[in-house]
Amino acid sequence: MTNKEKYVNAFTETFDITEEETQGLQYSGIAAWDSVGHMSLVAALEDAFDIMMDTDDIIDFSSFEKGMEILSEKYDVEF
Amino acid sequence: MLTGKNVLITGSNRGIGKAFVEAFAKRQCNIWACARKHSEEFETQMAEIASQNGVWIRPVYFELTDSEEMKAAIKQVLKSGENIDVLINNAGIAHGGLFSMTRMQTIREVFDINVFAPMELAQLVLRKMMRQKSGSIINMSSVAALNVRAGNSAYGTSKAAVKAWTAVLGAETAQYGIRVNAIAPSLTDTDMGRTVQENAGENRLLPSAMGRMAKAEEIANVAVFLASDEASFVNGETIVVNGGGDCD
Repeated sequence: MTNKEKYVNAFTETFDITEEETQGLQYSGIAAWDSVGHMSLVAALEDAFDIMMDTDDIIDFSSFEKGMEILSEKYDVEF
Repeated sequence: MLTGKNVLITGSNRGIGKAFVEAFAKRQCNIWACARKHSEEFETQMAEIASQNGVWIRPVYFELTDSEEMKAAIKQVLKSGENIDVLINNAGIAHGGLFSMTRMQTIREVFDINVFAPMELAQLVLRKMMRQKSGSIINMSSVAALNVRAGNSAYGTSKAAVKAWTAVLGAETAQYGIRVNAIAPSLTDTDMGRTVQENAGENRLLPSAMGRMAKAEEIANVAVFLASDEASFVNGETIVVNGGGDCD
């Protein structure tokens, strides 16, 4: 499984959405991505990539695309 | 009830923290015993307690005020793959003195260790607990948070902050099956407690309605209760353990 697939899976499994629905998805853009869902997403990503995210990055994680940028720039996850 | 649970305790090398280690090991819990610096004496003590009780106790070292050290240490703990069932934010420092005679730097140091470090550690550990959908966090407040007394502007207000934070965090984490409570002990018979009493001079603190200081194990026993399923509906509370009366 590629890193992109792992990343997408974290979203689809956490929020019960399709891969297509992840594109352009924003925090609070769907009911499932509220503060509780956000922490579940972070947990799923930390498990998937064996990382520990900084609180600042968790707060900045505002969209599907922004998350990829954070993981790529700060946690050496290559997409 | 607590058999096989894994407990992370800060400030576990002496005083109430060491009593926590002994109390939880006695209940067959495994422990990450956190301290500031490595010492052979501490390692030996922990190994002895582990051996006597048939549990593992892993010393973990980090400076509470060093975010990077703390993060690296907790990362190692998480790498073990073990659940963190209980976090005890025990480490703290005492300080007494009139507000007008207390340096701001001192007040910041007291808050750094008594409030901000437990908050930071809880943020790291909570993510594991949220994944587990279970956990118990026990913070150390103090009767100094409750009793208005001159000279308590740094320590007392820091412990009042812990009390308030405990209630807020308990409300936020209940949905994940995580309970957060605090203990507010009165003067306890430890090195720190005796030093506080000595420094108080003529303003010596009232020992308790029982006429004595608390024993460290009496505080630890309350933590054991709060960590256990016996306290399954206790959340966001600060339990006063002061031997009765309006004492310090």
